[in-house]
Amino acid sequence: MRGRASRAPEEAKVDLTPMLDVVFILLIFFIVTAVFTQEQAIGLEPPPPPVDTPPENPPPVIQIYISGDNLIRVNGRPTDIGSVRANIERLKAENPESAVIIQAEPEARSGVIINIRDQAYSAQARPVNIVLSGGE
Amino acid sequence: MARRKRALNAGSGDEQDVNLTPMLDVVFILLIFFIVTAQFIKEPGVDISRQDVDNDTAVKPLAILVAIDANSDIYMDKRLVEPNEVEFQIKELRKDNPKGRLVVQVDNEANAETLVGLLETIKKADGSTVIDVSTSPD
Repeated sequence: MRGRASRAPEEAKVDLTPMLDVVFILLIFFIVTAVFTQEQAIGLEPPPPPVDTPPENPPPVIQIYISGDNLIRVNGRPTDIGSVRANIERLKAENPESAVIIQAEPEARSGVIINIRDQAYSAQARPVNIVLSGGE
Repeated sequence: MARRKRALNAGSGDEQDVNLTPMLDVVFILLIFFIVTAQFIKEPGVDISRQDVDNDTAVKPLAILVAIDANSDIYMDKRLVEPNEVEFQIKELRKDNPKGRLVVQVDNEANAETLVGLLETIKKADGSTVIDVSTSPD
């Protein structure tokens, strides 16, 4: 373009200014609207739909109960949050078919649920269900 | 010297003619960069404290963000949303962004009730069986 123009000086020069204006406006628009949102996320399963008739032979479950004051019980035994993974692994070793159920009271903190779901991932537990306790 | 300058500027008056081509190149590259990286996400606009976990992955492309703050209030697009309104709002945002993934930003202090209720709603509205919950970046 430039080379041709210098070799043919008689050719009409294109005025680039209006295009430059448009390009700058577009550029400013895209800079202003740019969002660089990055999210790290962990997958949580929504609670399964209620079933009317429980299956004939329900698989053994590992029930992790989170009470309203964030105390954790694994199959009824009070457990520290750091040792949930070890407990899941131990119960899975006894019964590899076990499903994990995280049952939280409505007042429990979400952070505890996410932490326990993460530990269940680490223990390769599958499937995991997260349900609210009916407040029994 | 003065004569040479005048000779160079012949035809375009006495004003200096700046070569705009390199700047134009740079501006175009910037423009293309911003067009390519542009994602039009409506952010919930609340600060939340996230949980630090081991088994998280980067979510891309993002589409919809739903936040639950420390008071267990649900926010979408910088507005407080009632729990029964969430399904409608998600479907509205899905019209703009049918492909991307939905992420729930939940505060550590939020109630389990709100989180589980929201997961159920999203499952109903979006049909996903595993819902991404935002965690703190490494």
